[in-house]
This record gives sequence, structure tokens and C-alpha cells, in this order.
Amino acid sequence: MLIRLSRPRIVKLVLALAATAAVLGFLFLWSGLYSVAASRGHWAVMEWLLTFAMRNSVKTHAIAIEVPPLDDADLIALGAGHFHGGCAYCHGAPGVPISPVALAMLPPPPDLATQMRPWRDRELFWIVKNGIKYTGMPAWAAQQRDDEVWALVAFLRQLPALDARRYRALSLGSVQVEAQSGREVATRETASEAVGACARCHGAGRDAPPSALVPALHGQPAEFLTAALEAYARGHRASGIMQPVASDLAAAELERVARYYAGLPPIAPRPAAPAAADSIARGRAIAEAGDAGVPACAPCHGANALKLYPRLAGQSRRYMVNRLSLWKGGLPATTATGRIMAPVARMLNARQIEDVAAYYASVAVAP
Amino acid sequence: MTPILQSVLSPHGVQAAQIATLAWVLFTAAAVLLLLVVVVAALAMRGAPAVRRVLAGERMVVALGLVMPVAVLTVLLGYGVFLMRAQLPAAQAADAVQVEVTGLQWWWRVGYPAPDAGAPIASANEVRIPVGRPVLLTLAAADVIHSFWVPSLGGKVDMIPGRVTQLRLTAERPGIYRGQCAEYCGGPHALMALDVIALAPGEFDAWLAREAEPARAPVAEQEREGQRLFLAAGCGTCHAIRGTAAGGTIGPDLTHLASRRSVGVDTLPLNAANVTRFIQDGQHVKPGNRMPEFRIFSAEEHAALAAYLLSLR
Repeated sequence: MLIRLSRPRIVKLVLALAATAAVLGFLFLWSGLYSVAASRGHWAVMEWLLTFAMRNSVKTHAIAIEVPPLDDADLIALGAGHFHGGCAYCHGAPGVPISPVALAMLPPPPDLATQMRPWRDRELFWIVKNGIKYTGMPAWAAQQRDDEVWALVAFLRQLPALDARRYRALSLGSVQVEAQSGREVATRETASEAVGACARCHGAGRDAPPSALVPALHGQPAEFLTAALEAYARGHRASGIMQPVASDLAAAELERVARYYAGLPPIAPRPAAPAAADSIARGRAIAEAGDAGVPACAPCHGANALKLYPRLAGQSRRYMVNRLSLWKGGLPATTATGRIMAPVARMLNARQIEDVAAYYASVAVAP
Repeated sequence: MTPILQSVLSPHGVQAAQIATLAWVLFTAAAVLLLLVVVVAALAMRGAPAVRRVLAGERMVVALGLVMPVAVLTVLLGYGVFLMRAQLPAAQAADAVQVEVTGLQWWWRVGYPAPDAGAPIASANEVRIPVGRPVLLTLAAADVIHSFWVPSLGGKVDMIPGRVTQLRLTAERPGIYRGQCAEYCGGPHALMALDVIALAPGEFDAWLAREAEPARAPVAEQEREGQRLFLAAGCGTCHAIRGTAAGGTIGPDLTHLASRRSVGVDTLPLNAANVTRFIQDGQHVKPGNRMPEFRIFSAEEHAALAAYLLSLR
């Protein structure tokens, strides 16, 4: 017998089939028969679908991102410092194998030194900043700090060309990891990767920070350093690089390391391209006397100021320009001292920022 | 010292009295004219035919629509111009007390001529004048247009960037006259008020002599600690306290803060609690003001700062 299907009947049939499918699907999930085990992997078709969706999503969302110049030694060195502590555990690095624990994730994180997809710079930026759903890839801890994300992208661009020796030089900076005895390995935290060492990025002793984007902490007041570390640890001060490091430190450690840096003799910043003399002179005038509504810097940043304030003499020019520009660009002031400084930074124009930074970087510090 | 009602209709100065008289003349004339209009309108609608014919005639239109307004307005203009001479600096008396007032976002910089013709004596947010002597205010603006208006003492004069305007006042009796910035100047404009304090002439001279002196040095241990904090926290980069390293000119001069009546530009009465409140919570007290909040001090440090600032008499 032939069943005649009129249009209303077709509609009813389709609706009934869809409802049945939805109910069956729900019952399947409710029964718990579907396995969420990372150990089992995806079906090939699922794997293909997820990857297809992910790649296209990244490409589309990254279209409007503008890429700054990335062939920049300071960006690369800062990115290397963070990669070693934040990324290498899952993604490996030359001479640093991926942890077997990370490899057992689904999907397993790619070894970026050898298997990185040919992403564009802006796509890498988007991935590092936003992370990827349903993988272990986290978003950047401080969404306001695009400047930090670009440092990481700059480093990722160099990563495939690095060998183990050059990777260590970049990511460990001046830190020398001494071989531990069997007893030390057995009884202490293993130090071979020096992941938590401040000096990898900030230098220590007589060594300056390897990147001019990183502030020299030598000789800064302990109160200022402690307050900054506490602000990072509690998430009051935004940095995807410093927040994880600071939150790993116990309160007592945080104070001890602050006192260590406070006790170091000040160092001269790593020599960069020298600033023009007239820029330094203009910066000096602003620092000492202010400029049309801009207050002078010296009362708060000179030797006699509160120990809660940083000293600027000899500080890295690029670091200061970046810090002031971040506030000027709208980074919210979230710490007690930030609330004082941010309105001042917003009063400065781009040239004044360059000038005061050039001046303070040029001030000789007593060794 | 009595606070005096802030109102044009409560004049206590020569110029304010003239303005108030002018206002009453205007109100009275307006009332008479309104009455006339109402009566004529009623007659035009309900009057006897003969009256309505007269009202509709061309002569009446010329008389009430042309001749009368020209006459009334001419008389009023003449009266107003006559009164304005007293407001203008042209008629300035030789012994006029000179005060410079500059409007800034959102406070008043006040300067009195130094006795030895040196730099003006700097003060802020409060103008002191002697009773009975003519005062010549020189008004300027540093950023946007502000307007100086103390209704019980005199007229309203705009403070315009790049120009200097002048205003004459003479207070008739001692008291505190409240004034207000009368031109919207952004953010906390509504909280940009000031007091004009009229003192007996002898008191004024004594006060001005004290105002010219540098700040009192801290005596008590707490005051000394307050001064140390004031300088180390960088307050002096915006505020001046003459006689110390603090020489900033971005914010109000604090040399004799404790002789003033308010903190936060006439926002809160001057006392230790309000000094502390303004330092750490100023953006709530006066939202948008240019002073960042200093939430870095302990309770003892706040007490020391307040003790020092309130010692600056």
C-alpha cells in the first residue's frame, strides 16, 4: 500500500523524528554511557570536526588584530622568560621535554618547537590571549596586558630556530643552575629548571635584567617591592607574567626576596640606543619642576620619598615608557599607589613620557 | 562670624544693594505691565463695542506696541548703565584693596599684593576683605571659563582664559558671604564654591600680615612626623607650604590652611576627620577632582598628617 504524504504530514513526521532524536540523545547522556575519558581519545570524525572548528574560529577572530614589530630582542627575552615558567611544562622547549602528565591530556599539547602550525602572528596572539575551549590551553591571566602577550608571540616566532643551548641562555638569563648532588636531588626541590627564579628576568647581583622591558629591582625600597609582589599575588595588579610567579610565593618568602633586592647595589640599565641630549634635558625639567599642570616627579621618586614609592634613577627607559603608556592607554589603577600615579601618567603626552623616561634612565646611580 | 544668606535679594554690599534695587524696579515694572496687558486683553474680548473699537485702532497699536516699549526700555537701560558705573573699575577708589582670584578646575587661587611689592601672598578658596573699604577683584581663569559670583555682595563676572576681568565689591558688614562658580566648568563644578569673609579693617590688616608669613614650623612630635610624611609622600609636588620644600603650584597653597574654614574647596568643614577623609577618599567627597586618593597611610600616619595640616594657622 502506498502511503500518500501530504505537506502537513511531512512536517509532522519531521517534528516527531526530531523530538525522538532529542529524547534519545538526552537519555544517552543521562545514562552515563558516553565516556568523557581523556584516555580514550575522540572518534576520528569528532577529532576532525573539533580541529576544523578551532582553526577557523582562531582565523576569523584574529582578523582585525594589528601586529606590532616583533623582531625585538627585548620582547623576545621577556617572552622567553615567561615561556620557560609558564608554557614549557606542557609545550616543551629545546632541551625541555613535555611532561608525561601534560602529554596525557586530550588533546595532547603540541610541542611548539617542532610541531607548531603555521599560524599567523595575529592568530598566535589571539590563542595566547584567549586560550582555547575544550583543550587545556588557558587564557592569559591578565586580559588587560596585550603588551605581555606580544612578548610571548615574539618569542614563539624565534622558538623553532633555537637549540637547547640558546634556549637556556634566553630563558635563564644570568641564572646559573648548579648541578645538585644526589642527596640534594633527593631531599630538595629539584632546581634544574630554575622556573621560579626571579633573576631569570630581573637579574640579580651585578646582572641587569636581560630585557629592557623588565624593571631592575636592585636597590628599590623593600616596602615598595613587597607591596608590588603582594598586589600581583592578590590579583590587584595586572600581569599575566608576574601574577602566577608572585602567587606562588608565601608571604614570608615574598618579603625576604624583596629585602634581598632592596639590599643589592643599584645597577646601570643595559645600554640601549642613547637618548638625545635635548630629550634628556626636557625630561629633567619635568622631573624636577613639572610642566604646565604636570607635577614634578622628583618629590615622589627621589631618594627621600616614602619607601612605598619606587626610585627611578637608572631605571630602564623602555620599561618606564611601557608602564606609563599602559596607564595612559587606560589600564585601570587598582593599587593604592597606582591610584596616585595613574592620573599623573594620563596627564603626560607621548613625548613627555619619552622625555622623563630618557632622563631617569640617564641618571647615573652610585654603584 | 555670621554666615549670610546667599541671595541677590539679601544685599550686604554697595554694589549688591544697587543690583537688588534694579531687580525690584524691574519686578515692579514687569508686574505693572502684566496688569496692563491683562486689563487690555479683557477689554478687547469683553469690553463695550466703543472700547474695543478704540483698542483695535492703529493709534493704539502705535502707542502701546511701539512708543511705550521704546520709552520703558530706554529708561530702564539708562538706569542700568547708570548703575553699572559703580560696578566698573573705572570708578575705583585710590584705597581699594586689590585681590587676584583665578578660577581653576575646581578651586580658586587667591593672591593678595605683598606689602613690599614682592610676589603676591598666595592663598586659596577663601577671599578675605575689610568691611567698608572698596575691593577690586582681578579675575582670571587658568583652564576653562569659570564665573565669580557672590550674590549678596555684587555682580557676577565671568573668568575667561586669556583675559583679565575685574569686579568691585564693598561689604557693608562683617560676615561670611558664600559664593559659587556660576559657569559650568566640568565635573565637580557644583562643588566649586568659596567664602568671602568680610572682617573689620583692623582684623583684616592683622590677618593679612599673618598670611604673608611663612608657615608655622611643626612643634609637637606628631606634627613633625606629619610634615615628614607630607614631604615624603610627594604632597609638595602639587601643594605649597611656604617655608618648607613643598612648592607645588598645581593645587591650593596650604601655608595657612588651618586659618581657613573648609577642606576640599568649601566642600567639608575643616577638621581632622575631614582632612583625613579628603586625603584618602577625595574622589567620593568631590568626584572628579584633580587630587588622586592617597590610600597608603595608616591611621597613625593620617592622624599625624592631619595634626600637621591643622597646625598651619
